[in-house]
Amino acid sequence: MSETKYWIRDRLWLNTALAETVLSGFIRDAVETSRSKGVVLGLSGGVDSALAAALAAIALGPSRVHAYQLPYRTSNPDSLSDAEVVAKAFDLETTTIDISPMVDLYFENLAEGEIDKVRLGNKMARERMSILFDQAKKLGCLVLGTSNKTEILLGYSTIFGDNASSINPLGDLYKQQVWQLAQHLGVPQQVIDKRPSADLWPGQTDEEELGFDYSSADEVLCLMFDLGLSPKEVVDQGYPASVVSRITALEEKNRFKRRLMLIARLSDSAINLDREIPRD
Amino acid sequence: MANKLTVGLAQIDCTLGAVELNIQKHLEWIEKAREQGVELLLFPELSITGYRLLHLTSRVSCRIEEAETLQQLAAATGEMAVVVGLVEEDGQGVLYNSAVLLRAGQIVHVHRKLYLPTYGIFQEGRFFGAGQRLDLAPIGGEKLGLLICEDLWHPRLAQRLAAGGGKVLGVLAAGPGRVGSGETLESQEIWECITRSTAVVNTSWLLYCNRVGWEEGTFYAGGSHIVRPGGQILCRGASLKEDLVVATLDLREVDRLRWRLPLLRSERSDIEGPG
Repeated sequence: MSETKYWIRDRLWLNTALAETVLSGFIRDAVETSRSKGVVLGLSGGVDSALAAALAAIALGPSRVHAYQLPYRTSNPDSLSDAEVVAKAFDLETTTIDISPMVDLYFENLAEGEIDKVRLGNKMARERMSILFDQAKKLGCLVLGTSNKTEILLGYSTIFGDNASSINPLGDLYKQQVWQLAQHLGVPQQVIDKRPSADLWPGQTDEEELGFDYSSADEVLCLMFDLGLSPKEVVDQGYPASVVSRITALEEKNRFKRRLMLIARLSDSAINLDREIPRD
Repeated sequence: MANKLTVGLAQIDCTLGAVELNIQKHLEWIEKAREQGVELLLFPELSITGYRLLHLTSRVSCRIEEAETLQQLAAATGEMAVVVGLVEEDGQGVLYNSAVLLRAGQIVHVHRKLYLPTYGIFQEGRFFGAGQRLDLAPIGGEKLGLLICEDLWHPRLAQRLAAGGGKVLGVLAAGPGRVGSGETLESQEIWECITRSTAVVNTSWLLYCNRVGWEEGTFYAGGSHIVRPGGQILCRGASLKEDLVVATLDLREVDRLRWRLPLLRSERSDIEGPG
């Protein structure tokens, strides 16, 4: 293994106790500053939402964390049971809302015949986020995002679906840092150990769909995005050229998902371009 | 001349853009410091306005000599020297990131930040003008060197202040925190590396007052501390929460160290070569 690989693995290692303090502080501050009552989040049974739920429970106490299970009829039953295990571990009450009727009705009315699975997956992700924002409005809460740095950089998300939120405590954590912090906070082992999946269709796994494993993705992204190495320099460190080029392509293609409001500028006072007003 | 100076570092959280609220907090902390006998109290960078103002910068700016809020603060200082951070308007269309020394109802000294970080998350160069002067501030019979955050990363400034007779260097900061794999915050390690080496090579007391709290997803780390002229950390405030750090400095320690470690005396500006 090259020196850089050792070094980059060290860089991706997280002081989890400090991260817990800082990220729970982030959630508490955001809720207080916005005078919200708490947070709502979707609990998928995966490690990202489990970690977000754990941090929120530490920050606010379990009674101010409203967890939702939002299954579709093809969702893996294990997702539901894993989400319940997570809720139990952190003493959270959950509400289950089946999104199948809304999603199916939409496509039935379109009557386009068979629907591309990506469109169906996107619709499910947006339906879930639509419900979470509605519930947040009802409860006077913020929507807690659960996207991590790896998937944000790769654009492995649905725009205005899972990548939407009011606040996101995980957005600067690479996937392996999510695993480390989840371990530290006592997220049930079965949730940490299972293969990551967006569960948008039966049998889907992230790593199969992406074409590389998360550990490599984290290291390559960290070298390029955090440290500014060129793709060629990353390949020179011993990472497969095919993986580096696939990651580079995804990162470039999906940049639009990271800048959510693109405004055409006419004046010299365009929102967010000329006039950057802090939200705090 | 008194050789002892009791200093305080008011490691507060500031509310972005809420000048009135922040002024109230300053008044409360000045009273707390007074109860502990503090003679020199530092607040963090932009303590009255909050740091990440962006296009709100001009909405919270003030003409120093005209600002009622500042006079209110100055009046509350009594015999204590108090340094606060604010957005200064010069009346000629330029805003400065300034540190203002107040005492006994007077504005004693103003330091305009000399180096404005405009990289990474920092955007100061877009909104502020850079200061043009470096001066020592009088406190009692002594001289205080004031710097703001990034100023400390340009070591010649601290050296000039020390060479000019400053025995105490005060640094107002809004230093964002970073978490890595280390035992403490990465940002704290770097800051302590710089504050300690600055104290050592300039044989001066160094006071580092950093803020806490969150602004737009960025947290400020706290960890304010006082470094002895020999480089040892005398005391350190809490990490990530408000704290008042108080200590009494022996200013003769600077003289005694400079006699046996004459770094400033032997500094040269006549050496030919690069740079």
